[in-house]
Amino acid sequence: MSTTAPDRQQENPLAEGLALRRTPDPCALVIFGASGDLTHKKLMPALYALAVRRLLPPRFAIVGVARTGGDDGSFREDMANAVKQHARDPFRQDVWDELAAQLHYLATDFADSSGEDKLHGLLGELDEKEELGGKRVFYLAVPPPAFPTIVEALGKRRDERGWTRLVVEKPFGHDLASAKELTATLLEYFKEEEIFRIDHYLGKETVQNMLALRFANGIFEPIWNRQFVDHVQITVAESIGIEARAGYYEQAGAIRDIFQNHLLQLLALTAMEPPIDFTSASVHNEKVKVLRALHTPAPRSVVRGQYGRGFIEGEEVVAYREEAGVAAESMTETFVAAKLYVDNWRWADTPFYVRMGKRLARHETTIAIQFKEAPHPPFEESAAEGVRPNVLVVHVQPDEGVSLAIGAKVPGQGMTIRTVHMDFLYGGTFRTGMPEAYERLILDTMLGDSTLFTRADEVEEQWLLVDSIVAAWQRDKPSFPNYPSGTWGPPSAEELLHRDGRAWRRP
Amino acid sequence: MAATLKKLSWVGEDVRLADVDAALAQLRSEASRDRPSMRTSVMTHIAWVPADWVEQARAALEGMAERHPSRTILLFPEPDADDNRIDARAEVERWEVPDTDRGLVTEVVELTLRGSRAEAPASIIEPLLISDLPVFLRWRGEPPWGAQQLEQLVDVTDRLIVDSIEWAEVPGPYRRLAELFPRCAASDIAWARTSRWRSHLATLWPAIGDVRTVGVRGTAAQAWLLCGWLRSRLGRDDIALEHDPAEQLEGVLLDGDAVPLPPGDPPAPSDVLSDELERFTPNPVYEAAVLATVE
Repeated sequence: MSTTAPDRQQENPLAEGLALRRTPDPCALVIFGASGDLTHKKLMPALYALAVRRLLPPRFAIVGVARTGGDDGSFREDMANAVKQHARDPFRQDVWDELAAQLHYLATDFADSSGEDKLHGLLGELDEKEELGGKRVFYLAVPPPAFPTIVEALGKRRDERGWTRLVVEKPFGHDLASAKELTATLLEYFKEEEIFRIDHYLGKETVQNMLALRFANGIFEPIWNRQFVDHVQITVAESIGIEARAGYYEQAGAIRDIFQNHLLQLLALTAMEPPIDFTSASVHNEKVKVLRALHTPAPRSVVRGQYGRGFIEGEEVVAYREEAGVAAESMTETFVAAKLYVDNWRWADTPFYVRMGKRLARHETTIAIQFKEAPHPPFEESAAEGVRPNVLVVHVQPDEGVSLAIGAKVPGQGMTIRTVHMDFLYGGTFRTGMPEAYERLILDTMLGDSTLFTRADEVEEQWLLVDSIVAAWQRDKPSFPNYPSGTWGPPSAEELLHRDGRAWRRP
Repeated sequence: MAATLKKLSWVGEDVRLADVDAALAQLRSEASRDRPSMRTSVMTHIAWVPADWVEQARAALEGMAERHPSRTILLFPEPDADDNRIDARAEVERWEVPDTDRGLVTEVVELTLRGSRAEAPASIIEPLLISDLPVFLRWRGEPPWGAQQLEQLVDVTDRLIVDSIEWAEVPGPYRRLAELFPRCAASDIAWARTSRWRSHLATLWPAIGDVRTVGVRGTAAQAWLLCGWLRSRLGRDDIALEHDPAEQLEGVLLDGDAVPLPPGDPPAPSDVLSDELERFTPNPVYEAAVLATVE
């Protein structure tokens, strides 16, 4: 063995083989909209989960900014309650005490320039006390109209010493023009690589598993194309109504709330080509190619609906137009189904049927790849009448996992074939608890990894498609409501597939 | 933590392995009678458990089946028994899969190998291995280096897991362990327990590169492994070890100066074993550290 002294310029030899955790640099996380629902239900529980697993930076500060009056003490108490109510981990006083000591609150209105001064002063103090080096994550958990004022104020007072990252929650505009305007506002003060547009669906383990399923398994990719796939069905179904979001939903509707972002992102992940590596740019480049290849659907290939009265889990629920804050004659859609085509070599002529909506029969998000039928089953017709084509289903939520429907012989005399399922359930195999999407995404933001976020060009491609669909809708006025709550949408959604000799699968 | 919904067991004396297989199938079927259950396995986990280690082996399994759904086969050798036979106990546990109406079943098989039946254990476990899944062999106590039982089991194993804290004297046996490295990957729970300290010591680079003496208050195994790790990573065989015996790893001194305690809590025993069960390939850093303890 050598007795040569180690070369000080070399990489740390002691680091080799250690399971180095992805621990971010010391930094300050500033949450605008700290008194809101998102902070209570998602952000603070996620930060607590990261604290439990010691994944937060060694020196760290969280600054909550909101117009609601309060101080550090009341904010800490409020956040403790949020963690007790919404965190996936049991409340541990020792973990909380450590995290709470890093929590600060600033009651201010950013429309007032003194708000900027106060925040700037507080961050300066924290920089000095915690040695944060001017590194900042600004999280905009506020309604879009507040973005420009905050972005401008932050941009003008950037701390040039450390890095700055800006996290933006959807909606990213309400059409292509406004999305471009938003992008322009953001880019005036921040570079694209500093902007993290959150689509929390991309932080879900099962969505990431789509990439693992496709690109870590040699058996799927060769048949993941028009030659073997008959069609794809993507369902994003919610059984809840609009809850207290009438103001937002009346403007957005299902197409802006779900279709424009979550659904098209799921489609892009399903249809994209293998990236050359798993870096942010490579993954974004492949996704945007799919979005660009999406064919604008003909009007008859898009169905919209609005829920009427009905039953959810045996309980009668009101119609959309009867929800508080919704106009009595509202024409806002709560359901969209469409037949889309990805015009490229891999997917030419393979329909992607998508549907999403509120007050549907159950809460479920699935991506189903339906394969073509066996060309010549050598069985009597009656033997195989219960057989359906093979379907590979990625269950995004709930029951996270993957299942494959195959035909199997029923035990006994003769040859009768039935469709059975081979299931992989996350909860049944990896029993370590599924991290919440926001945990992964907040950590990635601090680490500067934007792979699971949405890039500006993706957002714009998504709006281009949505705008063309919405433009076609201006020409007619459907008879709303057109589906009872607790069903799978209007009959015309069934028609969409029946016309092609297909049917929606039962999720 | 998910709740156990059902635990069913079967006991047999002087059995054939086909009896055990049939009993497992029957138990799985019974466990799934009320609600559908899946048999989901990520590995076959074998433990060779001499009489002195029975209680510890059972305790280490607590909570592990939940994290690593598997078929666990505990082998209790009784070579000095009066008769030659296999006694068996098969147990199927049905776990609730959160937020679903389904469950999953895990299996534990205890085989008492009496008399000559303890001599060829590979032939006993081969029929019980789950196809195409990795096989992990946990050996309690110091393995009988060169003995037929060890040699046979290593050949059907993907990963041998030992805890050199359980060995009477180190570093001598590390040389024998190193002889097995070309045949199967090895994990040492004593090594895994030093991970917090290794991560912490790594942050002291480059100053730590000049260390002459490392003092370790802890078990002999951990002291030698930490010293071997520093020697091998730094490329220096002149680092001396000063060992201060203690039940667990309590402190490290570099040239007489105490290193501050690493952050976080020490992991629970089942977590340490569980983490080792997630590794599938040889660990060259560990292997180099083991070799450096005896070179």
